[in-house]
Amino acid sequence: MTKKGTGLKIVISAVLCLFILVLAIRQGSVYITLKDLFGIIGGHITGKGTPGEIEPMMDSIFWTIRMPRAIMAFLVGGALSISGACMQALLQNPLASSYTLGVSSGASLGAALVLILEISVPVLAGFMLPFAGFVFGLLTVIAALVLASAVDRSVSNTTVVLIGMILSLFVNGMMNLLSTLNSDHSKQLVLWMMGSFSARGWKHCAILFPVCIIGFVFLFAMSRKMDIMSFGDLQAQAMGVDAKKTKIIAILICSLLTGVSVAFTGVIGFVDLAAPHIVRKIFGPSHKLVIPMSFIYGGAFMALCDLISRTLLSPREIPVGAVTALLGAPFFAYVFFASRRKR
Amino acid sequence: MELTVRNMSAGYNRNEILHGISLEIKSGEKVFVGGANGSGKTTLLRVLSGIIPHTGDVLIGGRDVSSMKRKDVAKLIALMPQTSDMYFPYSVRETVLLGTYASSGNSFFGSDSEAVQYADKCMEDCGISELKERHLDELSGGQLQRVLLARTFAQKSPFLFLDEPGNNLDIKYRAELCDKLTDWASGKTGDSDNTLVAVFHDLEQAKRCCTRAVMLKEGRIVFDGGISEALTPEMLLKVYDFDIGTYSKI
Repeated sequence: MTKKGTGLKIVISAVLCLFILVLAIRQGSVYITLKDLFGIIGGHITGKGTPGEIEPMMDSIFWTIRMPRAIMAFLVGGALSISGACMQALLQNPLASSYTLGVSSGASLGAALVLILEISVPVLAGFMLPFAGFVFGLLTVIAALVLASAVDRSVSNTTVVLIGMILSLFVNGMMNLLSTLNSDHSKQLVLWMMGSFSARGWKHCAILFPVCIIGFVFLFAMSRKMDIMSFGDLQAQAMGVDAKKTKIIAILICSLLTGVSVAFTGVIGFVDLAAPHIVRKIFGPSHKLVIPMSFIYGGAFMALCDLISRTLLSPREIPVGAVTALLGAPFFAYVFFASRRKR
Repeated sequence: MELTVRNMSAGYNRNEILHGISLEIKSGEKVFVGGANGSGKTTLLRVLSGIIPHTGDVLIGGRDVSSMKRKDVAKLIALMPQTSDMYFPYSVRETVLLGTYASSGNSFFGSDSEAVQYADKCMEDCGISELKERHLDELSGGQLQRVLLARTFAQKSPFLFLDEPGNNLDIKYRAELCDKLTDWASGKTGDSDNTLVAVFHDLEQAKRCCTRAVMLKEGRIVFDGGISEALTPEMLLKVYDFDIGTYSKI
């Protein structure tokens, strides 16, 4: 691919993603013109307040509900996608993601414990559920890494994936047992596990945004190492990359990104798997492009899915996890297999 | 710069493959590592490259290879493994450029211009310049082997460890490989004091490329000396359990 061709693709992708983000903010039961939308945004950013001709209710709907929700969806989609891209390269497994290592099952168990035992910490206020989800998700991944190191000193990819899956199944079993024994909370738990961006505001974005920035910068800085690691641990070591250290650092960063995302929104699958593969088809395998473009594509895809989830059967909301899978699976299959047939 | 191995043992998990190996390789030597399947040749190259943990000493320029940073080891030793995983279809050029990771001053954003020029030269030397925009999954086995060889050269390390580099190469490229390795080791390609340690199954190729032979049997060195003395019927019988006399009668 020529540099000019790549540049053009990046510009088109960025414009398309921006268009989707604006669409996700504007569309819904209440519609807004672009002029009014920019008036609201400008008023809040400059501190001058919303222009007088815009109704306060519109300001409230778009500034306090729609915008943080769409941005949250974009950030979660981006965070899940770059962690998926990284895990696929490091573990040389097209199905690898932080979920494979037990983040979602750990987070679900954490959430279940909080709901069932009715634990509350005053300092955390409304953040107890996401906090518990994040901590348990991260603990599960750390347990998977410790176990993998104990049984295999080189921490090989197969061992990591197998231990992650074993641990996921085990933790899922515990979670199902808890859920069955406490049927009062089952519905609440099931809803949390299906994922939703409902009632996510600026305070949630304020936590996720720095996490995304930190995760993105670290993973982007590791992009050349990821290119080398995708040739396998042995070749990576031969070329000068400390495979074990790189793998552990990257897995922890990915778990942080996924853990915080899952904690705020529940379990949303598929985007972390599909977005990086689609990006590789368009931009090639170099992670210098795969990481930033996965963030943009994953973010836009999630914002679009959230828009569908809240508008398709309005006023009812469909769980966004169901939309990502229903919309993404056939599209992913088409992109993946159609390009294979061409070869 | 010398590579010194003293009473080294190593293996995988609890299975010891190499037992009490002692060896000294001086700068500029061309060493053939021979032995039957499973005798420990590949394990030896990996231990010398600091990839597999070991007991005893493995010193390069007086420094313990297992305590050095991977990047520092890669600046001194370029290992071309016997098998290669390929998960994503990088282009030939991208793949060879990855070989400059350790030697390039700017490893974050990519290779510096000097490293890029050197990688281009390695591609030319390995006869793959015309393939540089092709993707790895579009190459034949022999072409891929030459790409991996170019990537190993691009590492610009004074010690080159090759594990069966002639795999998949046709007769022309096998002959050219020997010429290339000989030129490289003798400094004709612009570098000097280069050391070659290579595993070959083609003994004719070993004889053309190397001057010294280290023969392994069941994880122990059974011969260390000139290549001509190593490739005698008696030695082949001892190392490979292979009677060349019987074979030639058939």
